[in-house]
Amino acid sequence: MADRTEWQRAVEPQLRALGREIEVPPASDLTAVVRQRLEGHAGRRRRVPALRAGALRRRPVWRAALVVGVAVLAVLVATPQGRAVISHVLRFAGIELRQAPGPVRSPGSSASLPGERQMSLEEARRQVSFPILVPAALGRPGEVVVSDGGRVASLVYSRTPYGKVLIDEFAGHLDPILFQKFVHFGDVTPVEVNGTKGLWIKGPHLLMYVTRDGVPATASARLTKGNTLIWGTRQVALRLEGKLGQRTALSIADSAH
Amino acid sequence: MRRAIDDAEAVDRAVGGDLDAYGVLVARYTLRAHRAAFLLGAGEDSDDVVQEAFVKAFRHLSRFRVGEPFGPWLLRIVTNETKNLTRSRRRRAALALRLPSAESSGTAAAGPADELLAAEQRAQLVAAVSALPHTERQVLVCRYFLDLSEAETAQVLEWPLGSVKSRTSRALNRLRGQLVPREQNQVLDG
Repeated sequence: MADRTEWQRAVEPQLRALGREIEVPPASDLTAVVRQRLEGHAGRRRRVPALRAGALRRRPVWRAALVVGVAVLAVLVATPQGRAVISHVLRFAGIELRQAPGPVRSPGSSASLPGERQMSLEEARRQVSFPILVPAALGRPGEVVVSDGGRVASLVYSRTPYGKVLIDEFAGHLDPILFQKFVHFGDVTPVEVNGTKGLWIKGPHLLMYVTRDGVPATASARLTKGNTLIWGTRQVALRLEGKLGQRTALSIADSAH
Repeated sequence: MRRAIDDAEAVDRAVGGDLDAYGVLVARYTLRAHRAAFLLGAGEDSDDVVQEAFVKAFRHLSRFRVGEPFGPWLLRIVTNETKNLTRSRRRRAALALRLPSAESSGTAAAGPADELLAAEQRAQLVAAVSALPHTERQVLVCRYFLDLSEAETAQVLEWPLGSVKSRTSRALNRLRGQLVPREQNQVLDG
């Protein structure tokens, strides 16, 4: 037993590090249902519609961090459903991709980000802490919207040869998670944009904004249109959405500076 | 606006019936509470446990001492709710711990062999923790996975501080017993 404490001292930091890595299934946003119960009648336990949040926050490190597939190491009690929800998570450029059926959208969803404010590009550049890139291929955006106190800047191109195109920009390399996407991983392809990594997501999927507190804003849930390209530079992460082909999207991304 | 308010002020206002202020606490602590519930054994019922805990916490806010940290106080309620749940299930769920299996950082850091080795060691450690008896697992979860101090762990599990210390020590010993035989060139004691 002589070196017991030494061994304990050695294993403690390992256990702490392990704790940070263990996957925990996504948490639901409970704010609304708790409030409802407190406002209302002595309320019975009620199940919340399954709006899932990314539960485990990873270190805010910029990297193409890809957690594909999860090792099941211990005995499991999870139902097959539960397992499906948590079995695939992939984080990239401030966006969390989950291979899961996705939450049921609440009927009251406004499909907008919190605190949207429309302004000029110049004003937007003063309001956010990251550089706003504009793709030369599309030119000046028809509309610029800054949301959630400068956390996201969106460039809206209402009329392009490809229909409506939307670009969200955010400090995805600093903030852990800003968006959640519920996708089928078969629709996701790694691509290269300007020498850095990007992901091409084919087809519409459910998109949800995640607040600074790490809770998904249920009111923001919406189905994306067309296809999506996500990529990042050292200063900013970008999400391009529209009815574009991969090659067009990549050339637009390449022209962003 | 929401961000400016700290826990103490939020609690203070919530005691006065301000549900917006309480909503700030709910938003702020949902992930932590959910993580605790899951790791302490609530499994797929973690959302329900946390929901119940927040409702109860609000009703018991008057018992909350001014200046006390909100986190451990809430986690104690979460732990109790988890206990109620496992009691009603009449069995304890095995703790299902998972590690992400593949993680690639765009730049090649350590060699693949090192990474594999490290991954295997972590997997062994996770398996060993999962296999611990219930109380010993609880204490390790609190101390290391939730990163609580001994005093906070005592509060959350409602144990005397001495029990936290002795059970931590016992749990670590048992872990070692499971891990050591696999290590090479290790001088075994006793």
